[in-house]
Amino acid sequence: MIIALALLFLTLLGAPLFSIIGGSAMWGFHSEGIDLQVVTIEIYRLAEMPILLAIPLFTFAGYLLGESQAPARMVRMAHALLGWMPGGLAIVALTACALFTAFTGASGVTIIALGALLYPALQQAGYPERFNLGLITTSGSLGLLFAPSLPLILYGVIAQQSSLDTPVNIDDLFLAGILPGLLMVVLLSGWGMWKQPKGQLSTKLNGMEIISSIRESIWEIPLPILVLGGIYGGYIAVSEAAAVTAVYVLIVEVLIKREVKLRQLPEIIRESMVLVGAIILILGVSLASTNYMIDAQIPTKLFQSIHSFIDSKWTFLIALNIFLLVLGMMLDIFSALIIIIPIILPIAAGYGIHPVHLGIVFLANMQLGYFTPPVGMNLFIASFRFNKPVMELYIATLPFFFILLFAVLIITYWPALSLVFLSSNQ
Amino acid sequence: MLHKSVRVLHNIEDALLVIILLSMVTLAFSQIMMRNFLGTGSIWLDPLLRVLVLWVGLLGALVATRQNKQISVDVLTRFLPPRLKTISDIITRTFAAIVSAIIAWHSFLFLIDEWNSGVMAFASVPAWLPESIIPFGFSIIALRYTIQVIALVGKGLSGENKQ
Repeated sequence: MIIALALLFLTLLGAPLFSIIGGSAMWGFHSEGIDLQVVTIEIYRLAEMPILLAIPLFTFAGYLLGESQAPARMVRMAHALLGWMPGGLAIVALTACALFTAFTGASGVTIIALGALLYPALQQAGYPERFNLGLITTSGSLGLLFAPSLPLILYGVIAQQSSLDTPVNIDDLFLAGILPGLLMVVLLSGWGMWKQPKGQLSTKLNGMEIISSIRESIWEIPLPILVLGGIYGGYIAVSEAAAVTAVYVLIVEVLIKREVKLRQLPEIIRESMVLVGAIILILGVSLASTNYMIDAQIPTKLFQSIHSFIDSKWTFLIALNIFLLVLGMMLDIFSALIIIIPIILPIAAGYGIHPVHLGIVFLANMQLGYFTPPVGMNLFIASFRFNKPVMELYIATLPFFFILLFAVLIITYWPALSLVFLSSNQ
Repeated sequence: MLHKSVRVLHNIEDALLVIILLSMVTLAFSQIMMRNFLGTGSIWLDPLLRVLVLWVGLLGALVATRQNKQISVDVLTRFLPPRLKTISDIITRTFAAIVSAIIAWHSFLFLIDEWNSGVMAFASVPAWLPESIIPFGFSIIALRYTIQVIALVGKGLSGENKQ
């Protein structure tokens, strides 16, 4: 108990999370009289999971795309194709952000890379400033539920470690995210149409602009088709898709378009691998702590004590929503996944919640946490990027928060929305 | 000013990251090509790629420690006054150094066992070789946190003298 409190105190003081998890795992093993060499063996299991290859490769490809002019071209094309619709520009912004986030893994890159393009464009179209700030900040985490987003993959990796009765397949997760992700985009687009400035006509459909913007993006267009088609069609595994993406992006942006100079590569590789390293390190020590928790039957005991005062699945889901909302405010999505999923997954399974549905609920909640005041990460990134006080961003994102909260509730209490495409569900 | 040997170490870490990541990209891609177009694939390429994930991860973690980019909860620390922030940094980094050092020590013992047992990882690669990144990585992380703590204590003391 004292140890647990001390670790909690250290966490709040800002101790690196890997040291907290590693320390608690070692304390657990030590008090059971197990040799601590077991921690090494657990960490080495990182080298025994083929799917993990996807993490460095997708992250690298995402950082590389962010450094190129691909985001600008993508916005131009989306504008040419969708700009004529009512609320067109808002829809352009949402679509572009969702697509970009799916490929770059929601690490705040979207706001930095796309915000600078979309914010002035929205301003020019006459949307109120507060709406623009809110839209961009919210969009920074939109697209999390679409393949091949890193959090989805990571959820699959962790769920596979917890030996459930229902195995979690990453391809299933990719299928499950489609409708909930679209729901979020559609609801936000509706808000964008509502908020469209009066008297401002949408841009007309312009055939020339469409052709020229497609021609400009001709090298990037095959990428989502290749990756998503390959994964959803069952032709390539996720880690193979990551390798193809990395090679493709490397060739297009460095050799063909030459927007990223060869001498920029070491810097891009280092910065992307710092993020990967921080995630992998926490994942490694948490393999040890998860193993200890399963050994000590901690999730089972937790389930029993929770079950004594929450007996319905739906009450549990309400409690889960509230818990995840608070969690999302404090932890970034990657550490939240790695730390909380091994505990929550067996408990949720006890309530008969499908592990794939739980994953979508978890990520949808976390997406909200990105911009929940007072400490959501994207609020600070946007505040820094657009040079606005955080207070203003709290107010600007509020309507978006309630719209997405509504979406999260639908996703939580309507499991079929996530599970409809799953073959194992039929 | 950084000491020259420290700068050399930083450059080695950066260079290793670049080499390993680019080899991962190349190897993974050629494996797909071989499998789909030649119908063959190398048996040792898959385990090698998995080991490289561990290596790139731990090397990335070394650099993250160096750049102070390890993931942590900053709900409270964001609002701490500078003096308290220094104190909390000293406490948390001392803790991180101790944990890393214990992991490094036990990994080192594990490595010696593996060396003596002569177990093979894959092909003719002895198991201790791919595993060696664990004691090595955690030693450097522990060392880095120790150095950061010493620097912070030094800063704290000199700050007090000025008052």
